[in-house]
Amino acid sequence: MAVILDLQDVTKAYDEYKVVDGFNFQVEEGELRCLLGPNGAGKTTTIDLITGRQKATSGTIMFKGRDITGQREDKIAKQGVGRKFQVPAVFKELTVRENFQVAFSKNTDPFHNMIRLGRRDGRERLRQVVEIVGLQERLEEQGGNLSHGETQWLEIGMVLTQNPQLLLMDEPTAGMTEQETQQTSEIFNRLKGEHTLVVVEHDMAFVREIADVITLMHLGKTLAEGPMEIVENDPKVREVYLGTEGITDAA
Amino acid sequence: MRRVNLYHDKRAQWAVYVVFFGILAIIPLSMDDPFTMNQYSRYGVFAMLALSVSLVWGFGGILSLGQGIAFGMAAYGMGATMQMQYQDPVNDPIPSFMLTNELEVLPTIWEPFWHTHLGLILAIGIPVLFFVIFGILMFQARIAGAFVAIMTLAMLGAWYNMAYDMQPYTAGFNGISPPSAFVAFGVEVDPYSNLIYWVSLGVLCVLTLATKALLQTKFGTIVQAIRDDPERARFLGYNVAYYQIVLFALAGLIAALAGLVWVMITQFVSPTSLDIFFSITMVIWAAVGGRMSLFGAIFGAMFINAAQSYVGDEFQATWFIILGAVFIIVVRFAPKGLAGLFEYVFGFIPYRVRGTSGARGDAHSASE
Ligand SMILES: Nc1ncnc2c1ncn2[C@@H]1O[C@H](COP(=O)(O)OP(=O)(O)O)[C@@H](O)[C@H]1O
Ligand SMILES: [Mg+2]
Repeated sequence: MAVILDLQDVTKAYDEYKVVDGFNFQVEEGELRCLLGPNGAGKTTTIDLITGRQKATSGTIMFKGRDITGQREDKIAKQGVGRKFQVPAVFKELTVRENFQVAFSKNTDPFHNMIRLGRRDGRERLRQVVEIVGLQERLEEQGGNLSHGETQWLEIGMVLTQNPQLLLMDEPTAGMTEQETQQTSEIFNRLKGEHTLVVVEHDMAFVREIADVITLMHLGKTLAEGPMEIVENDPKVREVYLGTEGITDAA
Repeated sequence: MRRVNLYHDKRAQWAVYVVFFGILAIIPLSMDDPFTMNQYSRYGVFAMLALSVSLVWGFGGILSLGQGIAFGMAAYGMGATMQMQYQDPVNDPIPSFMLTNELEVLPTIWEPFWHTHLGLILAIGIPVLFFVIFGILMFQARIAGAFVAIMTLAMLGAWYNMAYDMQPYTAGFNGISPPSAFVAFGVEVDPYSNLIYWVSLGVLCVLTLATKALLQTKFGTIVQAIRDDPERARFLGYNVAYYQIVLFALAGLIAALAGLVWVMITQFVSPTSLDIFFSITMVIWAAVGGRMSLFGAIFGAMFINAAQSYVGDEFQATWFIILGAVFIIVVRFAPKGLAGLFEYVFGFIPYRVRGTSGARGDAHSASE
């Protein structure tokens, strides 16, 4: 399998303080990678760097063999990188249906979109996505009226509507009930293979459900990488989480 | 069967527009009062300005306090066009205010206004171009929220001073008063006639329906998405600044057309068209009527101005205090304005549509 995302020696520094510190990170096509690490490890910052929200201090970021370092957010998104925010972000005044319509962003030219009727666009994709994330009954509801879990699903659904090759999910199950988390892991297992996913997570039960390989980040660097059992038993990992029962309590 | 709010039914909305403009169109038939027609024509212009604010602020989330820039620039363009329609190339080529300011030849920037068509194109084209450039400067730099309000206000102030100071070209404080009414295709648009009213209402009607149609396209949904969360839109692949520039320019276009009609009605243009207080008042009309509803904004402009003329001249100072207070109350407690009140009331009316996902179900929307 080909490497789809490749971070080479990526550093992000605020003054002296390196939030991401010479980070190397490779993800293969079709893989579901979990990115773990204690709070402040630099996970969200890493996603910011990949998606262009922040500019790297040094290093290169390659996507599908192309250098995307420092490009503008929308240009990176258009190349096939989708992102779910840590704090769920949906369009609150729009209906769920309209949220999906906006997410169907094949053509982003304003003048082109002046001659398209919003509600016609991407109907087929909407059907497919709703089949995956649910929300059938909620299509006419305002985005701002959804429950927390539903908001998370809507945003996941929006990112799916884009149909990106690479999906970056920042804490998709945060604030979800156990049952909602279960449903979410089913969604992710369906996506695996067809899409490449990088999932930042705290919920270890969830990680066990979905992950093939996990990368453990600490102080902006890779601390350990590999299948769950190996990372879990790594002495370096135990040291970082001293006094706890391993990474299970990382959250 | 599924219950929805009639307020959100797009067909009902269009029906309201048809009835509304239909009734307004026949008003002159029932009265023969040129002064009232002139007054009502002015309300039409105010409604256009509120429409422009609703589009850019209510739907686009861009709080522009500088809509008067486009209005004023177009007003000066129209003033110049009408002035030159009056001048004679051979016997009287220079407007009298220029002569009193000791100009001996017509300034070059006035030359194009000899030609009515060119004059009109410039009156609209220049402000729109200015809004494009100003929009690029602001939105490429990702300026948003209160900073946009401050920048547009400052820019408006700069234009006001320029109009005031460039006396030989603009007649400064006194303003330009073209001595004759505007003539288009050989027809004189008398400012005190039924015709002026229909011109004003016609322009308002076309602009409103065009804006409404625009908001129902995907472009309309995207600008509202950008209003709600520009960051989210960006990561879906949209060039947010590009959309904001286009929307800002369209709102500028509406305000410019308002300025053009205004001078037809008043036969007068002065720095007051670029007055800061006037531009802020437009925002109040839209806010009170309901910035997230085109109809609400238009209605707000008409209603507030009618009320203002009803209370009469001696209460004007008190009136502005009341208006300011109403504005604060609306922004704080009823962000959707009068339209929001209607939305709330309509929620109690039993109204059902067949099916759960039919075409009419799609019509339900949080938007106008
Ligand atoms: N703009 C900023 N300026 C300074 N420090 C920042 C900034 N943004 C994030 N940080 C710091 O970077 C570190 C990593 O943050 P983040 O990437 O959000 O961690 P994680 O997502 O792994 O919890 C934190 O210590 C945070 O305080
Ligand atoms: Mg984080």
